[in-house]
Amino acid sequence: MKTHDTVPVTTGLGKVSRRDFLKFCTVVAVGMGLPVTAGARIAQAITSPKRPPVIWLSFQECTGCVESLLRSNHPTLEQLILDHISLDYSETLSAAAGHQAEAAKASSISANKGKFILVVDGAIPTKDNGIYCKIAGKTALQILKETAPSAGAIVAMGSCASWGGIAAAGSNPTGAKGIPEILGNGQVVTIPGCPPNPYNLLSTILFYLTFHKLPELDGQGRPKFAYSRLIHENCERRPHFDAGRFAQQFGDEVHRSGGCLYKLGCKGPETYANCPSVLFGETGAGTWPVGIGHPCFGCTEKGVGFNEPLHQMAQLKDLTPPVFFSEAFPNKEGVSPGISSLATGSAGLVVGAAGVALLTGLGKDKFRDKDNGKHDRSSHDKEV
Amino acid sequence: MAISRRRFLQGAAGGGALLIASRLPDAGATMSRELPPHAVGILYDATLCVGCKSCMVSCKKENSVPGGALYRQGRSEPPFESSLPGGNMWDAPRELTGKTLNIIKVYKNGSAQVKDREKDGYAFFKQQCLHCISPACASVCPAGAFRKDADTGAVIYLANRCIGCRYCQLACPFGVPRYEWDSAWPEVRKCQLCEHRLKEGKYSACAEVCPTGATIFGKVTDLRAEGKRRLALKPGEPYLYPLNRVDSKEKTLRPASRYVKQLYGLEEAGGTQNLLLSGISFDLLGFRENIARFDLPSLTWAYIAKIPWVFLGVFLGGTAIYKVTHRNDREGKP
Amino acid sequence: MIDTSKYLGPRFGGVVNRLLDDSHSEYLGIRLVTPFTLLLAALIGIAAVVGCYRLWFGIGAASNLNDLWPWGLWISFDVLGGVAMAAGGFLIAAAVYILNWKKYKCIARASILNAFFGYLLAAMSICLDIGRSFVIWHPLVMWQVNSIMFIVAIHVVLYTSTLGTESSPMLFEKLGWTGALDKVNRCMVGIVLFGVLLSLLHQSSLGAVYLIAPGKLSPIWYGHYLPYMFLVSAIMMGISMVSFETILTGKVFNHQVPMEVIEGLSRGIVITGVLYFCMKAGHIASGIGFGAVFDGSLLGNLWLIEMAVGVVLPVGLLAFGQVRRDPQRVFAADIMVILGVLLNRLNVGIFGVSEYATRSGGDYFPSAMEFLLTVGMIAFAILGFKLCAKYLNLFPTHH
Repeated sequence: MKTHDTVPVTTGLGKVSRRDFLKFCTVVAVGMGLPVTAGARIAQAITSPKRPPVIWLSFQECTGCVESLLRSNHPTLEQLILDHISLDYSETLSAAAGHQAEAAKASSISANKGKFILVVDGAIPTKDNGIYCKIAGKTALQILKETAPSAGAIVAMGSCASWGGIAAAGSNPTGAKGIPEILGNGQVVTIPGCPPNPYNLLSTILFYLTFHKLPELDGQGRPKFAYSRLIHENCERRPHFDAGRFAQQFGDEVHRSGGCLYKLGCKGPETYANCPSVLFGETGAGTWPVGIGHPCFGCTEKGVGFNEPLHQMAQLKDLTPPVFFSEAFPNKEGVSPGISSLATGSAGLVVGAAGVALLTGLGKDKFRDKDNGKHDRSSHDKEV
Repeated sequence: MAISRRRFLQGAAGGGALLIASRLPDAGATMSRELPPHAVGILYDATLCVGCKSCMVSCKKENSVPGGALYRQGRSEPPFESSLPGGNMWDAPRELTGKTLNIIKVYKNGSAQVKDREKDGYAFFKQQCLHCISPACASVCPAGAFRKDADTGAVIYLANRCIGCRYCQLACPFGVPRYEWDSAWPEVRKCQLCEHRLKEGKYSACAEVCPTGATIFGKVTDLRAEGKRRLALKPGEPYLYPLNRVDSKEKTLRPASRYVKQLYGLEEAGGTQNLLLSGISFDLLGFRENIARFDLPSLTWAYIAKIPWVFLGVFLGGTAIYKVTHRNDREGKP
Repeated sequence: MIDTSKYLGPRFGGVVNRLLDDSHSEYLGIRLVTPFTLLLAALIGIAAVVGCYRLWFGIGAASNLNDLWPWGLWISFDVLGGVAMAAGGFLIAAAVYILNWKKYKCIARASILNAFFGYLLAAMSICLDIGRSFVIWHPLVMWQVNSIMFIVAIHVVLYTSTLGTESSPMLFEKLGWTGALDKVNRCMVGIVLFGVLLSLLHQSSLGAVYLIAPGKLSPIWYGHYLPYMFLVSAIMMGISMVSFETILTGKVFNHQVPMEVIEGLSRGIVITGVLYFCMKAGHIASGIGFGAVFDGSLLGNLWLIEMAVGVVLPVGLLAFGQVRRDPQRVFAADIMVILGVLLNRLNVGIFGVSEYATRSGGDYFPSAMEFLLTVGMIAFAILGFKLCAKYLNLFPTHH
């Protein structure tokens, strides 16, 4: 039974055991906030004979996004590109080069029209007709406009592809723009980050393969499963923020003991990303910028990363105040319970005693006769 | 039974001496309505506050040293709210107390989503002594245990004078002074503007650590000018907010907030050295509408000023009445 | 009677013997060991324990006072109420020694002693209420004349000693110290005048204590005339207290005073009562308006009860000559005035500031220890008065 079971799986998945593979699918499903049972569907989608074709275009980029993908372990790169997807074109990873590679791309596009996933990293220069980035004699702008209409889904990988990133920072000499801006902000999924977390891309692709639709996106095209929470909300250093323990400068006592980096310019409070929960590089806890002691610089947030000065303090966004803050002013109407019972009690006592005094005083009295006939003593006061 | 004229005059002279000894005129002068020459204070801008509480942490730490407002002999570490074992692991005061001189509270309404909005919003807010120009606590203390520093204007507590009557708590229009209820030899605790640090050339600990410039320290005149400048800004207009001190070179650029058009502390309770700016109505933050806009000590002074006349009236009137009513007795006596 | 000189030596024992000699007051029929006095002694004992507990463990441990309720039962009832009850002392002293109204002489000693106990009660309560009881003398040497509390402190000390001096002839008489007796008697008028002055200032300054808190004390009570309302109500209550105590001693101590005295006191209550009513009504009319007290709110109702029980009903009753001549009815009216003014002091001291404190999230209900201490104080005053009546010549006319 055992051998019979493993043979087809090994054929499909290389050296990964079936158990490990299903585990991976389940982890991905959970990572996207899907039910655990979705893991089985993902597994089915991945192992189906026809692997999903992916075309990866790189423009004004530093290859950081690809490098980040190379460092994913679940699955490893070779498993990903050989077993899970069919990476039909990538300038960095293609075995082919030159005209051969371009031909592979063209054939893949025509073969998989409307089905392939287009991943783009790097910004698109638009100034001077986009002459600042050319591949095979075509400008980035031309390549994108040719390829995009045939794609089933378009993913902008990294901050540059998402809104221009570092290429568009400052004076933006090449007129760099993000993919959504060029294609119109339609169905482009943006995975900003510098570099973005590879699992956010992977999860998006697998979601698309499984459900044949894109995951829920926010206003900037970011998948909500990864970008709906502020870094500040899940940050492991958050308790230090709440308790007011701030590193004043790099290397000071608070910094060394893991205090909050807000004062060093951490952009966590205005940046939406899942960095604190997914981490980077898979080398254990705390392996993300804030975890290793550097303030977040806001790379996933347009207008923050590459834009705000690195050590300028962030503005807090949509933050629910913690419950242990005391109310500024209870502003309760009326009179508190203890006092009102004391008041009612005293008033009752006063009215009651006065009533008794009044009734006994006005009623028949036995003392009245006593006073009659008393002699006047005041006349013979001696002295005091 | 008769009082001799000599004896009566002696008594009257004694009363007069008592009156003179009470130094009425110069005591009145200690309740000045003018800002001291080098008055310093704090400007708290609630719209900049992120509720990080670092001011609370620093306040407690810096004031627990000898000379600080929380110092008590024989206490080596800052006083924490919880008296349970291990209570110093996490200190989250809910109120100003005898152990907390400075607290960040929150105003919350509905879903509490947007900062500095009254409806469905929230706002942070700092409570501490405002250092009145004419402090009610100092005026009501029977033993003079509160003193307004003649130079910096910080309202300082002198524990070795205090009798613990808590009149200061009743008198303070802002409800600031707090009492060490759990102590058999209690002291009144309140912010003293880090007076011990001012002497060392430093400044208030809360302003020193505030990361956003929500709490800034400086001369009151500068703070007033800064506050008025901020109120004149259009919401959203970029403005360089100074950090830590009003005259600091370190500034942070951010869009101006939408302020309630009131610089709190200009005239409240006759003016305070600490000033407040807020994005929502001060009434919601516990700074009530019905607060007096004049110096409170003048209310009691109006009464006290009449006392010499009561002295005079009772002694003169009493003697006159005595003379008239005892005329017959005296005539009848040998 | 036991001859203590056997045990204490002739000199000291003789003094004790004379003190314990109660032959002059035998006609009063005061028995020391009764269930009532034993109860009083027990209450005093409990209060003493509570007092020690409070001194040892602090105010927070003994009371429910807190930062939003810095003052509670002890200040409002023991101090404000106790002092107001003691106002009779200076009034009768002034009537006898200054105005030369001789008919009140027969109650002068009792009234002054009563006032002395009222002040003693207030002074002891203050002593326990302040957190640093052992430095209560600070205000006497660290003057701060802007403070009403300073004026109150000075007055409590001076007036308690004045009352002590005014009462001292009784003791000197008893001990046969004629020299001291003569000296005190010779400057009695000066002392009384001083006492009148202190009382006028003291009674009003207890009201002036609240002048500094316009935003805290409800406008139903707060006003610039608060000190004067305190003074007038204290006078009204002081007279009622004297009248009450005169009739009460007449009932329980087998001691009678002429009806003329009680009638005169009743007239005094009516005069001050009318004045007080005008002040109170004028205050409401010129301030927040009568709508605020007739709106059915707790504070409004408290004001109405205070006025109805303490002023309107008793003064209305005493306005009839027939009522004034009937000690039983005067007694009822006295009780009502006392209750009403006590409620007024509670209103100003506790309930009037409750809306402010509630808004800030505060609450207060006196702890059992606070009640016990207060009850013990009252028991102390009653028992002390009874002992003085037995061993001192409180009603000198019977000699």
